[in-house]
Amino acid sequence: MSLLIALPKGRLGDDLVPRLRGTDLALDEGALKSRVLRIPTATAGVEVLLLKGADLPRYVAAGIASFGVVGSDLLDESAEDLLELADLRFGACRLSLCAVAGTTVEALRRRPHLRLATKFPKATAAWLAKEGLTAELVPLASSAELAPILGLADAIVDLVQTGGTLKAHGLEEILVLGTTSARLVASHAAWLAEAKAARPIVRTLIEALRQA
Amino acid sequence: MPTHMPHFPDLLFEPAARLRAWEGILMRLLAEAGYRELHPSLVMREPMEAEAVRFFDGADLVALRWDFTLALARLLASRFDAAPSRISYAGAVFRRPHQPWEPVERFEVGCERIQGPDEDGADADVELARLMVAMPTALGLQGGILQLGHAALLRRPMEAEGLDPERAGRVVRGLHRRAAHRVAAALDGHPAAARLLAHAEALLVEPDGSGKFEALAASPYAGLLEDELAHLRRAQAAIAPLLPPDLELRVDPADVQGIGFYTGPTLRLWAPGAQAELASGGRYDGLYPELGRPWKAAGFCLRLSRLLDLADTRPDLFGKVAP
Repeated sequence: MSLLIALPKGRLGDDLVPRLRGTDLALDEGALKSRVLRIPTATAGVEVLLLKGADLPRYVAAGIASFGVVGSDLLDESAEDLLELADLRFGACRLSLCAVAGTTVEALRRRPHLRLATKFPKATAAWLAKEGLTAELVPLASSAELAPILGLADAIVDLVQTGGTLKAHGLEEILVLGTTSARLVASHAAWLAEAKAARPIVRTLIEALRQA
Repeated sequence: MPTHMPHFPDLLFEPAARLRAWEGILMRLLAEAGYRELHPSLVMREPMEAEAVRFFDGADLVALRWDFTLALARLLASRFDAAPSRISYAGAVFRRPHQPWEPVERFEVGCERIQGPDEDGADADVELARLMVAMPTALGLQGGILQLGHAALLRRPMEAEGLDPERAGRVVRGLHRRAAHRVAAALDGHPAAARLLAHAEALLVEPDGSGKFEALAASPYAGLLEDELAHLRRAQAAIAPLLPPDLELRVDPADVQGIGFYTGPTLRLWAPGAQAELASGGRYDGLYPELGRPWKAAGFCLRLSRLLDLADTRPDLFGKVAP
């Protein structure tokens, strides 16, 4: 039976796959170009599952994948009880409150009915609680930038890397709520049962993914 | 029974028979060790926890039993002047473990060892460990890992350094994830951050042989934790000879789950293929004093629902069980 590692598709995955080239965990280039989501690596018996970031913690928690790489933003939104073996220090983003350029935090605080659109309801609710504010949360799965400019919400809580997408939509970052980065995760059961066998793989992942 | 939450399972024939048989085997094992069964009502009243499945019975808000230990403690504290020393239980609990829309019904068998304030808890802890070790074998489960921790190894240094509950909670969550970087972030700005982080790193050393104890001996809080470390060593030495060949003992002081409840040694049973622990327990000397009784207590619970799941998904892990 193969040992499975869950890796995220999308921006984090695009950043991650090149870092594994030349290592024992390099992904098979032919399989990568196909549409398959289960990819062999350079090590026999070790395969990679390419998953949507929001689903990835569930595959690891269920013990399907022994390890996974996921953004701390999605990890913190997930209800899964996972071990976090390392901060991989890449894919860094800010989780920020963003609104139409010129809007201030004070202006948002004064709104009688504040509406915040976000893919990160847990983190947003935690910030609101800390600030003593209440708001209507508008859960979105993608393209949150459209919400303030089309009137779906007064502001958004979203990940910001360069700020280019915000700027293109006439938005700006008005408050940084936290920072996020890629994390190496494992399930409690898998780590207890397989720690010795898996340690070299974990080491390879950390060394490869932490490289500049 | 591979279905997951929300989950009020109907057990059809084979799992129903297995549940009945397993409950019988385990309750006999506990009875032979001197434990007497109590069966607290399925309905619990105030105060209720957020995880309880609640409903109105006329004008009264009631909840389905969500935790045997608490139900038993309320029963014992209100009905007995002297603590009965050995209690066993079997039945269902109803909880909302993650999200409020995911209630579950789980079957459990467990036991509680209750003592007077002056009795030594160490022997009782070993007695309970002996019973927990015997249970997987009694059910025919082959292979497993027994994880031995100690709640006070983190709790006491945090109390000594006066961590506020919010910061302490973040430290516990970071350590539970085995994430030193989360612990460091949680301690950032605290005057004792360097000491507590060094201690957290000692707790996180991989459990290989005696390395764990050597790391803890070098912790800034080694003096404060002298009794707890001695207790952990004694527990390890007492449990190791009891283990069947396919059950491995791991000392894991970074196991801080339930630190708000447990006050001493903790034990968890894991098996390959199980998504969560199959049994857990430990010493919780704070519960009965909260209910007005000066009693100490320890106990554990075997999660039969998870074992039924495992028997369904990994039958290869189970040998034949004597009828």
